[in-house]
Amino acid sequence: MRSDARGFFARCLDGVRRVSGMPDYAAFLAHQRLNHPDQPVPSERDFFTAYVTARYGDSPTRCC
Amino acid sequence: MQTLAWILVSALGAAAWGVVALHRGETISAAWLVLAAIGTYLVAYRFYARFLASRVLELDDRRATPAERLNNGRDFVPTTRGVLFGHHFAAIAGAGPLVGPVLAAQFGYLPGLLWIVFGVVLGGAVQDFVILFASMRRDGKSLGQMAKEEIGPVTGIAAMLAILAIMVILLAVLALVVVNALRDSPWGMFTIACTVPIALLMGFWMKVWRPGRTLEATAIGILLLLAALVGGRYVAESAALAPLFTASGTTIAWLIIGYGFVASVLPVWMLLCPRDYLSTFMKIGTILLLAVGILIVLPPLKLPALTRFIDGSGPVFAGRLFPFAFITIACGAISGFHAMVASGTTPKMLRREGDALLIGYGGMLMESFVAVMALCAAAVLDPGVYFAINAPLATLGGSLDAAAETIRAWGFAVTPGQMQALAASVGETTLLARTGGAPSLAVGMAQIFSGAFGAHLTALWYHFAIMFEALFILTTVDTGTRVGRFMFQELAGHVWAPMGRTSWYPSILLASGAVVAGWGWFLLQGVQDPLGGINTLWPLFGISNQLLAAIALAVGTTVLVRSGKARYAWVTLLPLAWLLVVTLTAGWQKLFSADPRLGFLAHAAATAAQVAAGTLDPARGARLIFNDRLDAAVAALFMAVVVLVVVSSARVWLRVLQGRTPVVSREAPFVETEYAV
Repeated sequence: MRSDARGFFARCLDGVRRVSGMPDYAAFLAHQRLNHPDQPVPSERDFFTAYVTARYGDSPTRCC
Repeated sequence: MQTLAWILVSALGAAAWGVVALHRGETISAAWLVLAAIGTYLVAYRFYARFLASRVLELDDRRATPAERLNNGRDFVPTTRGVLFGHHFAAIAGAGPLVGPVLAAQFGYLPGLLWIVFGVVLGGAVQDFVILFASMRRDGKSLGQMAKEEIGPVTGIAAMLAILAIMVILLAVLALVVVNALRDSPWGMFTIACTVPIALLMGFWMKVWRPGRTLEATAIGILLLLAALVGGRYVAESAALAPLFTASGTTIAWLIIGYGFVASVLPVWMLLCPRDYLSTFMKIGTILLLAVGILIVLPPLKLPALTRFIDGSGPVFAGRLFPFAFITIACGAISGFHAMVASGTTPKMLRREGDALLIGYGGMLMESFVAVMALCAAAVLDPGVYFAINAPLATLGGSLDAAAETIRAWGFAVTPGQMQALAASVGETTLLARTGGAPSLAVGMAQIFSGAFGAHLTALWYHFAIMFEALFILTTVDTGTRVGRFMFQELAGHVWAPMGRTSWYPSILLASGAVVAGWGWFLLQGVQDPLGGINTLWPLFGISNQLLAAIALAVGTTVLVRSGKARYAWVTLLPLAWLLVVTLTAGWQKLFSADPRLGFLAHAAATAAQVAAGTLDPARGARLIFNDRLDAAVAALFMAVVVLVVVSSARVWLRVLQGRTPVVSREAPFVETEYAV
């Protein structure tokens, strides 16, 4: 029961993170482990920098 | 059972429209507007949007989306429907749907309501949906790339130039809204100034001290922001601090220009990204709060359904109901800018093809609903108060007494005492001639919030509303400047290759400077304009945004025709034709109308006559004339680009219909999904 509540809370936070376009390091690691196990794993800081740089790159993320 | 429910929804919507239609000249409750809008959205979504999805676009859940095929855990990420809806909505909704309807309320609430609701179901939502679909089928290609591939390379470059020019006008007019809201307002100025150090703190928190803890940093940021909001009152009341944060329009304009440049040059994690998180949370929170407030209070609308200003003599902006109601309200009804988002991050995150219906069409319906709420917030104000806030000082007369007299002559009652009491209740020295829409929206929102959550906090609610608008407008200014910088670098790279290197510092500085100088020029022009600038710049922005929508719809039509769906091309051709009529008429009138309030060239001539008669300083006159001609040139450029894009698209359509160009889809090939269908 308690772990269910925690799981629900974590999923909510995850949703909030994704709605606002924040990086999700855990999901990225899971993706890399599954699909590209041979590639080096970037640190959380490097991932964060690469993610936000790409996101606020050359196409508008926010409209008027 | 389902049929019964839909008959009920339709009947309810129709009844609400009936109430709106029959109670002309009487005060009605905002509830009827909200009901009429929601009823129409539901019916349109259930029938028209489903028709688009199944018959016209043929969404196919068995087809793997780019997010599934190209999943890289970063930008291509399959995302659940609900989350992506929120994400897309937060990306498309900004200040546009809030400000436009407030300004268009000078015609009364009815024209705005009709255009927002019917414009969106037949135009805006269709555009967003079709472009999202086209980009999804092409691995998330951008609007510019699609224009180039589907229509031709010249059209592609013309479209890119138009997008850059539109961005410049957009940023200038939005910055002007902020300037007008913060001018001589130490409370607002302090709160907004605080957002910069707060964002820097968040940036270092997320990157250096606690890498990746974005939610934690944002929570701290929001708390600090609310503290700054409350603290603003003490600053405004302190004799020592208030003068430090009291600034003229010109000073604030220069500060925003400097901010835009710095934000475009600094690494994104430091300033831009944390501000974006702050503003996203504030935006979603405030819009929910506004919806709840309106539903609790169900305020009566004091503004008439139609005002006498439909004849074009209105003080907020010049021009008749047609075409200017349809120009003033762009976002909320149809917004070309959305085509950029719908061909940007969102198509790379769709988990299933079928989700595009909810995200593309439904997301835009939601923005339209925000516009309806903004219209309600403006319409709850006394008409006299509305015009006292939104008309320029030069029209109203310099003092409260003169303004009350002017407004009485227009047929609306307002007393100097009423305006003074209102200003005092929201913690400002004056609300007279605070043009740009944000202050009157904030007053309306403060009234609704006070009605719903207690009256003793009116001043706090007002500044909360101002803070939230300024916050996300400044976020548009910094992200927009950055995007403009990249576009400039790409275009300049065609002329001189080193300029195209996006991480070369001289190129970054030069391109950022050029973009900032572009919108900064128009911003300063607006601040110094005796009629307040919104008068000139907002219609120019509306025209440019609608023309971008025309380009998007031309691309959408081409996509339909080229993939063998010409018999359904009317779904995009219809709104395209309407937009062409509206924008080309408006553009023509802005250029050539003999009324100096409306036509740029007539205004230049009138100014020249004033200089010749010796009633205007020649240097100032020369600057005004230059600005008029520049505005005229920009309007002419927009019109020329759109005619070019539409004509070259039409040639492609004809060639396909005559069988001279084979029907070839440029979609990425079909791959079956691995998800359960």
